[in-house]
Amino acid sequence: MKYLVAVPIAFAAASLAIGETPQKIDVSSFPSQAKLIDTVVVPVPSEIFGALDRVSRVHWDQVLRATKDQAVGESQSQIALQLGLIIAEGFIAVQAQNTAEVKNIGGTVRKLSKALGVEKHVTEHANAILKSADAKDWITVRKELDRTLQNVRTAMLDLGSEPLSQLISLGGWLRGTEALTDVVGKDYTPESAELLHQPILLDFFHKRLASMPATIKKNPVIDDMQKGMLEIRPLVGVADGTQISERSVKDVNLVATRLVKSINAKIN
Amino acid sequence: MTRFTTSILAAAAVLLPTQAFATIDDSLSMALEAADPFVKAGFSVREDYWGGDLPAKTTKAIVHQLFKGNEYWFWMGSDVKAAKISVHIYDTEGNLAEVEAWTKPLKDGQSAAARVVPKKTGSYYLIVEVEKSPEERTHWALAYGFK
Repeated sequence: MKYLVAVPIAFAAASLAIGETPQKIDVSSFPSQAKLIDTVVVPVPSEIFGALDRVSRVHWDQVLRATKDQAVGESQSQIALQLGLIIAEGFIAVQAQNTAEVKNIGGTVRKLSKALGVEKHVTEHANAILKSADAKDWITVRKELDRTLQNVRTAMLDLGSEPLSQLISLGGWLRGTEALTDVVGKDYTPESAELLHQPILLDFFHKRLASMPATIKKNPVIDDMQKGMLEIRPLVGVADGTQISERSVKDVNLVATRLVKSINAKIN
Repeated sequence: MTRFTTSILAAAAVLLPTQAFATIDDSLSMALEAADPFVKAGFSVREDYWGGDLPAKTTKAIVHQLFKGNEYWFWMGSDVKAAKISVHIYDTEGNLAEVEAWTKPLKDGQSAAARVVPKKTGSYYLIVEVEKSPEERTHWALAYGFK
């Protein structure tokens, strides 16, 4: 089915007894892990930031990065990654409740979407972001950022550019991870570091990058992303319940920061 | 139809071929109808969702990342009014992880939901099931929200 690519669809699983809810199931009878990760839904940054806010006092204004006068990348791949970064920055700006920056980000989202040829899919949401930022309606801004993310990715799929859709997700995840490790690294607790335990997402991105067309993979930025995923994976992909160390948090932050810089390289 | 629902369906319209759209669209509407009271209670509903079709007495599983500190609801919908559907959540060791689950008939379909407060950050299995249905294959959709 065509929409298996567009909409995260489930896969065959173990049968369960009908009409009752088993207290335990045999997860080993699921398909291979490699198949499972094909259907991963990438969380929006606010999903992680909200959890972090519950275990740590975060000064989001210190994490927020100014985005005014953001230059547009040279390749479509680079622009897709940039768009993911900027939308993630929008979620950070909402956490910081910074109206001016949210409005800047709304404008930048339009600019990058135009460069990708999908501006019409975000105009309504970008306008809603600007309006809601003025009203300090942060719940609506978050919702519109998620809609923007979804609509742009959908538009890319509609244009037959699934790889670019995935790069938008990757860019968003990277900036979210950079912000998360920045915060956790400055005020480390094992509980906050646990939020980095996202092995299925790392595997998902690694697999997606590996399967991209040669025309996209030849871009040095994509090569950087692949190497970065391999570096991060062992640091956060530890077994469930295993503590992620302060050293690992800082190492992930170094890699994520390097990759974000790589995305914005040659255009700043 | 709420503005939220309209927006999601607009996005789905771009994604799906016409035939699939007509049915998963309706199932998603059912899931969102079930979600509506929880949106009012402060849950943020994601734009992403899962969907498909299943014969009766079959299940599918979805692996999904959850974060400790959040509370999650997963809402499943189907446009087949006489179907019986369910969704349940398990941790990576296969233990039932949800704190509550229910099924509820709707005016134009069926809904089921499960709530989880993750004890740890990591992967969880979402098991959706069409327990019975008069249709050969029953369309379904699964949305989720968090706070």
